[in-house]
Amino acid sequence: MNKELEHNFVELLEKHQNIVHKVCRLYTYDYDAHNDLFQEITIQLWKAYPKFRGDSKFSTWMYRVGLNTAITLYRKSKRRVNTQDFSDVQFKISAEEYDDTEEQQLKLLYNAVRQLNDIEKALVFLYLEDKNYREISETMGISEVNARVKMNRVKTKLRTILNP
Amino acid sequence: MDELEILKKDWQKEDNTFPKLTYNEIYKMILKKSSSIVKWIFIISILEFVLWAVISFALKDADYNQRFKEYNAENIMIPFIILGYVIIAYFLYRFFMNYRTISVTDNAKVLMENILKTRRTVKYYVAVNLGVMIVSAILVLGIQFNRDEQIISVIEKASANGELFKFYAVTIIITLLVLAALIGVMLLFYYLIYGILLKRLNKNYRELKKLEV
Repeated sequence: MNKELEHNFVELLEKHQNIVHKVCRLYTYDYDAHNDLFQEITIQLWKAYPKFRGDSKFSTWMYRVGLNTAITLYRKSKRRVNTQDFSDVQFKISAEEYDDTEEQQLKLLYNAVRQLNDIEKALVFLYLEDKNYREISETMGISEVNARVKMNRVKTKLRTILNP
Repeated sequence: MDELEILKKDWQKEDNTFPKLTYNEIYKMILKKSSSIVKWIFIISILEFVLWAVISFALKDADYNQRFKEYNAENIMIPFIILGYVIIAYFLYRFFMNYRTISVTDNAKVLMENILKTRRTVKYYVAVNLGVMIVSAILVLGIQFNRDEQIISVIEKASANGELFKFYAVTIIITLLVLAALIGVMLLFYYLIYGILLKRLNKNYRELKKLEV
C-alpha cells in the first residue's frame, strides 16, 4: 500500500515537476538554492500527499504546497551564494544569444519580478500560471477584491522598476 | 501591451528550460528529511519544555531544597510545585493541539497564523514560568528571612550592629540582579533564535495583513 502510494506520488510529481521548478525559479537565485527549495517542496508535498483527495487537481494542490513552502516554511540554507543572475545562466540561454528587443525586455522583466517581495511574487506566479482571482484569493487567504487591488499595485510597481 | 502579458506568454511556453529530474531522483528526495522552520520551531519548543522541567526537577532535589523542609513551609511550597505541573501539562496540551493544526495545504495566511499561534503558546509558557520563578524567589526570600536559623542569626547580628537596612538591601538587590540577568539571557535567546527563524514569516504575514486594511 505504502509502496503504491510512493510510486503514484513520484510518478505524478515527475510529470508535474515544472510547477515546482517555476516556484524555485521565482524564489531562488542560484542553482544550489533552487535544488534545496525543490527538495523541501518535494518533502512537503510527499508529507501532505496521503491527505490529497482527487477532488482538486494535483497541479492546483501543488501550487498551494509549493508556494506555502517557498513563502513560509523554507529556511534558506547557509551554503547559499547570493548571485543575482545565476539562474539566468542556468535556466535561460544567456542574453548574448539574443539581439532582438523582446528577449531583452523579457530579461529585464524577469529581473524586475525578482525584486518584488515574497507575497508579490506569489501573486505574480499565480497570475502567470493563468489562475483567476478567485483561485489567487483562495491560495493566499485574502479576499478576491484585495487580490485584484494588490495585483494592480504589483503591475504598477513592476512598471516603476522597469522605467525608473 | 501589458508587461505581465509578455511575461506570461514566455512563462507558459518555456517548459523545457528546466532540468528534468528523473523518477529515481525524485524518489530519493522523498526519503530525505525536511528542514522547514516548522520542524525547527518544534525542536526548539520541545527543548524549552524540557529545559524548564529539568530546572524545576533539579531545584527540587538540590540540598538547598532539603534545607527548605526544615522551615515547615510545605503548605506554601507544595501548591507551588503542583501549580508547576499543571502549567506544564496545560501548555504541552495547547502546544500539541496547535502544532497539529499546522497544515501546508491551508491557504498562505492561515498557515502563517497557525505557525505563529504555536510559537506564541511556547512564548506564554516561558513567560508564565518566568513569572512563577519571580514569585517563588520573593516567597523563598520571605520564608528564609522568617524561618532560616542561620539567616535569622545574621539578621540579629546585623540589627545589633545597626546594619539591618544594609543587609536587607544587599540581599534584595542581589536577588533582583540575578533575576534580571536570567531574564536578560532569556530575552537575548528569544531575540536571536526567533528573530532569525521567524523574520521572514513575520514580514510576509504583515504584508498579507496589510492587504486587508
